[in-house]
Amino acid sequence: MIEFYHVFKQYVKDQYALYDVSLSIQKGEFIFLTGASGAGKSTLLKLIFKEELPSKGQILVNSSNINLIPQKELYLLRRDIGIVFQDFKLLANRTVYENVAIPLVVRGERKSAIDKMVVKVLAQVGLSHRKNYLPTHISGGEQQRVAIARAIVGNPKIVIADEPTGNLDTELSIEIFKIFEKINANGITTIIATHDRHLLNMFPKRTLKLDQGKYAPSGPAEAIL
Amino acid sequence: MNLLQSTLSNAFISITRNKLINFLSFGIIAFTLLIFGIFNYLSFSLETFANEFSKNIEAIFYFKDNVEQPEIDLLLKKLKESLLVEDVTFNSRDQAEIAFSRQFPELKYILSEFKTSPFPASIEVKFKQEYNIGTKVISFIEDIEKLSIIESKQVNLDWAQKVMAIKKFISLVGMFLSMILIFVSAFIIFNLIKLNIFYRKEEIIIYRLVGATDWYIKIPFIIEGALLGFFGSVMACVLLFITLKLFPAYATFMYNIFKDMISFKNIPPVLFLRLLLLGTGIGLLSSYISVRQFLKN
Repeated sequence: MIEFYHVFKQYVKDQYALYDVSLSIQKGEFIFLTGASGAGKSTLLKLIFKEELPSKGQILVNSSNINLIPQKELYLLRRDIGIVFQDFKLLANRTVYENVAIPLVVRGERKSAIDKMVVKVLAQVGLSHRKNYLPTHISGGEQQRVAIARAIVGNPKIVIADEPTGNLDTELSIEIFKIFEKINANGITTIIATHDRHLLNMFPKRTLKLDQGKYAPSGPAEAIL
Repeated sequence: MNLLQSTLSNAFISITRNKLINFLSFGIIAFTLLIFGIFNYLSFSLETFANEFSKNIEAIFYFKDNVEQPEIDLLLKKLKESLLVEDVTFNSRDQAEIAFSRQFPELKYILSEFKTSPFPASIEVKFKQEYNIGTKVISFIEDIEKLSIIESKQVNLDWAQKVMAIKKFISLVGMFLSMILIFVSAFIIFNLIKLNIFYRKEEIIIYRLVGATDWYIKIPFIIEGALLGFFGSVMACVLLFITLKLFPAYATFMYNIFKDMISFKNIPPVLFLRLLLLGTGIGLLSSYISVRQFLKN
């Protein structure tokens, strides 16, 4: 599903954000990406949805070499990937419903189809009762659930989350991770970047560790940490 | 339908969001297009005036003294066959003398001093009305004048040509000023769209991440630019109409000088159409460049 072959990423000269990373993630896997701040977790995730391009090396996503995807066809790759950010990235002037509907609206889906899907995913993340609220009028945990709902509403093949619980307390974080587990149970490849050891221990999954841009061998969380 | 609706509503929301800036922009675009409209109108009126002048073009070609009749007949035949010519009249030297005597009987005694008629033979040519000075007639007259049997010519086109020269000058000045002002308008819309793009930067980033095509992002801004240009040009049309209608009342002295040349009553609808197309076009183009530049970066 996702393959990295000797990938390097350099933002400034003589300093690598990623150094010779090769890895493989299978379809339907649940992966934790861990490492200290600045280890290269966000960079690695950005490379998957082509927000960044590798300085060297090849990346395959859904069997497509992302280096070869032209800019005008990038939207097709992005429609297969749901992205969740630490800062939620919700539009403050749109309701919860409207925020979740965005991926479907930009695809030109019919209103009835949008309504059906949005109602379904809001129920999935337990936010049906908040659908007419503005993001600023709901809690941080709820905002993150809106972001998750937006990420899965378009039936993506992959869900990527960059420190999704970075701004939440432990209790809410567990709740969010449980939602990700449910998403993964539906066969969606799930990749979560986090450095929360407690959560990694609570949810034993395959963990990929990055250390100063270099990839350490993968294994269960306990072995890595 | 949903896509079109959201695209249009995004464009309208954006325009109503920055009311003050957008109002100022409308004003500047309207002023720019008003200047363009005024020069265009002046140029149009002067051309109409010159065309009126040249509706009944007549030319008289005077022959040299030693020209033989067959040569004259050949020219007469050529003129009669021309599609530009309405009527041709030949005046021999004797006919010219008779005409002079009739017109100026008190000067008849001068003619008695000459053994033969002192007047040259001539051809009077009347041109068809549909051919005005701007087209083939002038070059046709010049071609005839170059013939070796022609001594000189007289054409009733002097005034019309002078008016056309003024029209050309006004068109040039108008074009120069308009180009500068149109550039200013385009620059304003370009920056206004840029400002709105920055205002909605977060939204655009999210759209791109969830798989919106570049055109989905571009179109609302392009429509917004086109609407800015369109509303600006509507305002310019209204201002132009008011200016031309009020000019006779508030500038009586100037009006009296120009009233024969410039009709302040009939404003051609095509002028308004031109302004609307130009305004909308400027808006479309400058917003397209602005959003394209943003998405490239």
